[in-house]
Amino acid sequence: MAAVRETVQAVQSLEKYKHGFVTDVETEFAPRGLNHDIVRFISEKKGEPPWMLDWRLAAFDRWLAMEEPHWAKLHYEPVDYQALYYYAAPKTKEGPKSLDEVDPEILETYRKLGIPLKEQEVLAGVQGAPRVAVDAVFDSVSVVTTFREELSKAGVIFMPLSEAVREYPDLVRQYLGTVVPVSDNYFAALNSAVFSDGSFVYIPPGVRCPMELSTYFRMNAQSTGQFERTLIIADKGAYVSYLEGCTAPMRDENQLHAAVVELVALDDAEIKYSTVQNWWPGDPETGKGGIYNFVTKRADCRGDRSKVSWTQVETGSAVTWKYPSCLLKGDGAVGEFYSIAITNGRQQADTGTKMVHLGPNTRSRIISKGVSAGRSANTYRGLVSAHPKARGARNFTQCDSLLIGKECAAHTVPYIEARNGSAQFEHEATTTRLSEDQLFYAMQRGLSQEEAVALLVGGFVRDVLQQLPMEFAVEAQKLVAISLEGSVG
Amino acid sequence: MMAARVNLADATTFPSRRVEEWKYTDLHRILRETPPSSPEATVAPGGPFAALGGEELAFVNGRATGATQIVVEGETTVRLRFVSTTEGTGHEAACRIELKPGARLLLLESYEGQAPRYVSNVVLDITLGDHARLDRIVLTDEPDSAISLARADVRLGRKADLVQTTLTNGARLLRQEIHVAHPGAAFAHIDGLYVLDGKRHADLTSTVTHSGVDGITSQLTKGVVKDEARGVFQGQIVVREGADGTDARMGHHALILSDRGEVDAKPELEIYADDVACAHGNTVGSLDQNALFYMRSRGIPEAQARAMLTEAFLAEVTDRIGREDLRDLCRAWLVERLG
Repeated sequence: MAAVRETVQAVQSLEKYKHGFVTDVETEFAPRGLNHDIVRFISEKKGEPPWMLDWRLAAFDRWLAMEEPHWAKLHYEPVDYQALYYYAAPKTKEGPKSLDEVDPEILETYRKLGIPLKEQEVLAGVQGAPRVAVDAVFDSVSVVTTFREELSKAGVIFMPLSEAVREYPDLVRQYLGTVVPVSDNYFAALNSAVFSDGSFVYIPPGVRCPMELSTYFRMNAQSTGQFERTLIIADKGAYVSYLEGCTAPMRDENQLHAAVVELVALDDAEIKYSTVQNWWPGDPETGKGGIYNFVTKRADCRGDRSKVSWTQVETGSAVTWKYPSCLLKGDGAVGEFYSIAITNGRQQADTGTKMVHLGPNTRSRIISKGVSAGRSANTYRGLVSAHPKARGARNFTQCDSLLIGKECAAHTVPYIEARNGSAQFEHEATTTRLSEDQLFYAMQRGLSQEEAVALLVGGFVRDVLQQLPMEFAVEAQKLVAISLEGSVG
Repeated sequence: MMAARVNLADATTFPSRRVEEWKYTDLHRILRETPPSSPEATVAPGGPFAALGGEELAFVNGRATGATQIVVEGETTVRLRFVSTTEGTGHEAACRIELKPGARLLLLESYEGQAPRYVSNVVLDITLGDHARLDRIVLTDEPDSAISLARADVRLGRKADLVQTTLTNGARLLRQEIHVAHPGAAFAHIDGLYVLDGKRHADLTSTVTHSGVDGITSQLTKGVVKDEARGVFQGQIVVREGADGTDARMGHHALILSDRGEVDAKPELEIYADDVACAHGNTVGSLDQNALFYMRSRGIPEAQARAMLTEAFLAEVTDRIGREDLRDLCRAWLVERLG
């Protein structure tokens, strides 16, 4: 009965979007709009070397020549790129040296969100409790990164990308834009021109990162876009588990989030990347407001026997356009994608993955669980391809969709391209509605309708939830229940 | 929804791979200009289905030798032949087929190439009245230098049955398209089989749109590619709002028997109703090494074991053909292609 009790507790703790508050801090903006001067402004604010500015400007020129993609099954008001602020930072004198100098309002924000920024607080728990190092990004800047000293003892570099550009220019230059090229797509080009902050992680050869790394993104200011960029490099034989979380205030305007995440795994390295995405999804009735989440995430498994595992729980955002991918280049490289995408109200999600098998004996696995409720639309879009040199490539894909209610939609759009005779691909997909029998049974055992729905959906997505690090899994399970609130009845 | 139709007289209608629906079949790459019109020609009656009898309706180089439409009341068999006889030219044919309520038609459709390097474009417009049943077998036998496009638009009446199997060995570029408007409370069975070698290309594309309750769709496509051949399967099932009780299943399974063969598949589900059971499965791979090893251990030479396994794999499609004489004919076609 443990599962039932958990479900009941989860449902009891239900409340509307609880991250929707606004923090009142003095914010410094770049002028509204986007042009070469804004790009220069951002670069100067970050104190970047000239090569970085040149790179941004080149990206901006590429972006101007590109067209916004419209192939996804998404319908949204066009984004007015000139009406946005591309840089918003809480005002501080100098960059804060310690937590004491960080604006207490911001600290309070993270306390409300339940993100521990004080190392001693994290340690206050039971001996041996899992510890998580956090990089907190507030609008366009990183406000604090915890456990940096302890990590550096192990040789791990974990810092805001803007600092890494200054402190480790060679490393950044060597890898930045090598996984997601500037001209990869419209939003990646835009991000390359105006990216503000994000995390930089480097794990040296043979090191197993001693704790989970995490970045928490918070969009606060009005009319801003958030353009973070994350770069993670796992050198030979290294291991890292990285978590990402995000929330934003409730506003009745659409805000743009166009991030780029690049992962590089060298020989025998492993990166586990988990996301719990809970941006403000917009008003469930009118569909007003909410975040446009147009994200490019890609991993380059360039080393032999390298492994990258993407796990995502997508519950937020008005519109999601996101395809975390793996380029499997090394001999025996492994890519995994575990996804839960839940849409409710008037949300739209077009998400999935690409597994590009380039090297021999590469393997990939895709488990995708989509749940649509209310008047939302949820699309799985994925590509599995094997190139002629990818001898012995292997893929297994399972994507299941669950429909709750008469007005929602679920789509499955897989692309399967096999270009050699030794590749073996399997794909299966199902679309069904929530079983009336199961619902009836659960309710007959004394659960309310909402509790019963949460229990059944919890079972539906369990395969994926199990892939999340433990601290995240509990949160994610609650989130699943919250996202579906009001979907039945 | 779909891209503009191909019109051989207008080169701007030749889709390239940038057009999503033609992503894997790039007509523009190999056909840039309007081909010269094919001359009139005649052929002797016959074709691959001659032994099965029925009325013959032939289009030679796009021109009908008789009527350009088939209207069926009661029950009948029609051998519909599209024959191309001239090298280096192009032609288009259009045929309308109507089944009155309760009518039954066995349509034996063949695409026959008697010259190299032609371009053929066939458009069929098919209507099934309530309770009508169409059994359609499509068989292609065209040279590896030809371009052959065919598109059928089918509207089903209530309680109508569409039962079709397409068998093809491809061409330089071959595409067999079918688009079914499914009103619900009807049955669509759309199977396909491809056996490709050399540099042949075959594209089986289908869309089935369910707009009413209790519709059933069952699709099974299987194929084998050898050498540098390329097989393409694109299947889309759409379930519109209110089309509750829809039961739609789609399967595509392919074997690649060479290093440089290619199979591209895009099985799509687009669902706007909740009380449905929809599923698709797709596999691409090589012959099961364990099965092969077992057969060899029982004394069967490798080449023969491979042939047996391949034939057994593909025969699942021909086994679904109800009529015995047709099933035998299709099985014989298959065995000959594998030989």
